[in-house]
Amino acid sequence: MLFYAAYLFKSSLILYILAALIALLMTKNQKTCNILVNSICILSALLGAAASVLKLTSGVDTLPLIQVHSVVPFISISMTIDNLSAYFILALSILVCCVSVYSLGYISSYIGQRNVALFYFLYTTFILSMILVLTSDNAIFFYISWEVMSLLSYFLVVFESEKSESQRAGKLYIIMTHLATAFLLVGFMIIYSYTKSFDFGLGSAAAIMPDSIKNIVFIMFLIGFGTKAGIIPLHIWLPSAHPAAPSNISALMSGIMIKTAIYGLIRFIPGCLGVEHSWWGITILALGIVSAVLGVAYALMEHNIKRLLAFSSVENIGIILIGLGVCFIALAQNNQLISSLALTAALLHTFNHALFKGGLFLGAGSIQYAAHTRDIEKLGGLIKKMPLTGFFVLCFSLAISAIVPFNGFISEWLAYQSLYAFMINGETGLNILFILAVAALGLAGALAAACFVKLFGFSFLGLSRSEQALRAEEVPLSMNIAMGILTFLCLLSGLFPLVALKLIDPVTVSLGGSSIFSTLRGGFLIVYYPLEAAGNTISPLIFVIFLVIFIALILLAARVVGGKYLERRYGTWDCGFEALNSRMQYSATGYAKPIKIVFRILFKPTRQVVMEGDSIYHPDAIQYKTSYTSIFVKYLYHPILLAVKDFAKITKYKIQTGSIHSYLLYIFIAVMAMMLYNRFL
Amino acid sequence: MLEFVKILSVLILLSAFVLMGNKRINSYIETFRVQSLFIALMAGINGIIMLRTEGRFDLLAICVLILVLKVIYIPGLLHRTYAHVKYEVEKDFILNIPILISVCSGLVVFTYFCLGTLSSIIPNSIILQLVNSVSVIWIGLFFMISRKKAIGQIIGFLVIENGLFVTTMLGTEGMPFIVDLGLFIDLITAILIMGILVFRINDLFDSIDTDQLNKLKG
Repeated sequence: MLFYAAYLFKSSLILYILAALIALLMTKNQKTCNILVNSICILSALLGAAASVLKLTSGVDTLPLIQVHSVVPFISISMTIDNLSAYFILALSILVCCVSVYSLGYISSYIGQRNVALFYFLYTTFILSMILVLTSDNAIFFYISWEVMSLLSYFLVVFESEKSESQRAGKLYIIMTHLATAFLLVGFMIIYSYTKSFDFGLGSAAAIMPDSIKNIVFIMFLIGFGTKAGIIPLHIWLPSAHPAAPSNISALMSGIMIKTAIYGLIRFIPGCLGVEHSWWGITILALGIVSAVLGVAYALMEHNIKRLLAFSSVENIGIILIGLGVCFIALAQNNQLISSLALTAALLHTFNHALFKGGLFLGAGSIQYAAHTRDIEKLGGLIKKMPLTGFFVLCFSLAISAIVPFNGFISEWLAYQSLYAFMINGETGLNILFILAVAALGLAGALAAACFVKLFGFSFLGLSRSEQALRAEEVPLSMNIAMGILTFLCLLSGLFPLVALKLIDPVTVSLGGSSIFSTLRGGFLIVYYPLEAAGNTISPLIFVIFLVIFIALILLAARVVGGKYLERRYGTWDCGFEALNSRMQYSATGYAKPIKIVFRILFKPTRQVVMEGDSIYHPDAIQYKTSYTSIFVKYLYHPILLAVKDFAKITKYKIQTGSIHSYLLYIFIAVMAMMLYNRFL
Repeated sequence: MLEFVKILSVLILLSAFVLMGNKRINSYIETFRVQSLFIALMAGINGIIMLRTEGRFDLLAICVLILVLKVIYIPGLLHRTYAHVKYEVEKDFILNIPILISVCSGLVVFTYFCLGTLSSIIPNSIILQLVNSVSVIWIGLFFMISRKKAIGQIIGFLVIENGLFVTTMLGTEGMPFIVDLGLFIDLITAILIMGILVFRINDLFDSIDTDQLNKLKG
């Protein structure tokens, strides 16, 4: 069985390479290229998913895939799949499969206007680079794959390169990601200086390195991976890069690429360094709390669908980090059960987020495909024009807001459970943090629900707010099929969570935790809280069954009590006006206003009202403009930028004077210093 | 024979001091020519010693090369270059000559201070000569700093090269022949390019003062 898994992995890799080559060769025939590349990607994604499931259920820990050692020292291609990699590759493969189906329709609108072949070359190599990141077994190879992934995603972000928005987003993205990678490199180098090896041997570094060095490496990894994950305050690239990229790429970036950072945190911090200090977990937990609440608070302020979704990704990364933080604290205190439970919550939410956020970005792409705008204020009434898309987006919105029959609920529930379980036998100081985390999770959940009410309500319900929205039509079938598959998976893993939990179990066990699955009680349909801590169960399926029965009973009762009622269809009562129009509707700005007022310390909102006309009492037109500034940009990034600029100015005018004599003098002083150094050492 | 080498090493250092004391550009070039002649003599003496003891004639070939290049060709080239640009007697140095000379003396002391500890590796007699030749490098660099005209920088560069050559000859009994040849080719190229650049600087600023180059800064 394991043999087949390795075989399937390799064939899926080869298929991706094949797809990239085909994309390069077929620059002339874009239509065939579109169909061919996507079919190959779907096939290889299915192979990859099958291989990952085989690997996860096989019970074997590591599966060496490709080992090529070169003559050049340290440079070797070594790929190994262990359970953690297999789990992330499963999520990647499922999403790639759906996104490829989606691209069949979505990219067809680009044909003839843009270089579709180039797009597909970047697309397939981007997927390939993510697989390399997830499977590499050696720090140098990991680092190279990581950089390749960053660069390819940069090219995809600036794919619509003539737009100044894309250029700015790309520039910001590449600066942030390179800074982050520099931190990673320093971390790897420090580990190398102690272990003299770039291999990821589990726990190898932990024994040798002194405590203080471990702390430094932890901070390096946290900044390096945290930037890619988009934790606040390192998130600023995310809300501009995601909207700039084509929607299928945003789905991949938000669904999987930022999760490679979570993979890195799990791979390197418990796996390589070993968690011994509680403060590591506490830091991650605190960052998670901040990211979860502020991410969704910023999301509420956005009227651009994809920016909103990008901020919501920040929120979900926050939730994942809350799970991860609890896991690390429990690891530091040698509490195996809780650490496994929290890790399960984090991993499950990673998987779920890949499904529903991928789906939501695809939905945003569909909206843009149909209505040619991403501004919520210009949409409206789309549900009548594109009912399937509307239904799927509604399902994803429910999933991301953690409403019961969908998968988002299960992972957040597990995160809550791990927090509660830790509180029962935790320390007092930590308990306060856990209570805060529970409150933050609750607040983030509520705000997320409000946020997606806004997204769905203002884009799909009501009357169309613009001509473009009025002319929108249902998108091609392939796009809806892709979203349908994702919806189905969201529902499936929400109703039968034990399937997902069974797949996560080998991961937590191989990372040195205890098995959660074996302590679960009950059948296939019910999630039980592990027996060893305290009894606590929940079953989404039973919830749904009761909900259906309840609604049916009410309807029945109404029918029985009320008798046969008459149904009369009529327009909404318009208070005697002649006709309702779209401008009388509630606007998204108005909807978000109360929250803007509550969180004004974060947003620093400004507004501008301009009256046009002769009299201010009877204006012809009123313009109302609102804007907000991010406090992180204003108080964190601006001062840093200014300092760098000032420093550059000083070097320009004081050091680089342009006079040959001063340059010669620098050489003179440097050589003199070297000779003196030689003299005294 | 070795006594000659010692005397020549002192003379080379002395010529560097003389160079520092020169006021006119034509005399820079002549001093450089004299210094190169000393170096050629030194290479010749060492070459004869080497021919007698080991039977190699690398250094003699290099001696001929130095005579051709540094004593005849390059000074001639510099004279011609300088004749083409506007000739004016004006103060070319940043500090006045007595101060420059005393700084140079300080540099020799500094070099002695830095190299004096090497006596465990190298015999004492050679250390003194090494101090002389490394001082020539320092004085060459300082000469580049102290002169305003581009020709001054070229001469300084050549003096640094002279100092390096003597240092390698004393410290390691000469570099491999191919390395020396490479160095000479580099030197010719550098001088040719610098000569052309001096014309360009002169065209652009009506002067070969390198101070004016800071106008180029963006």
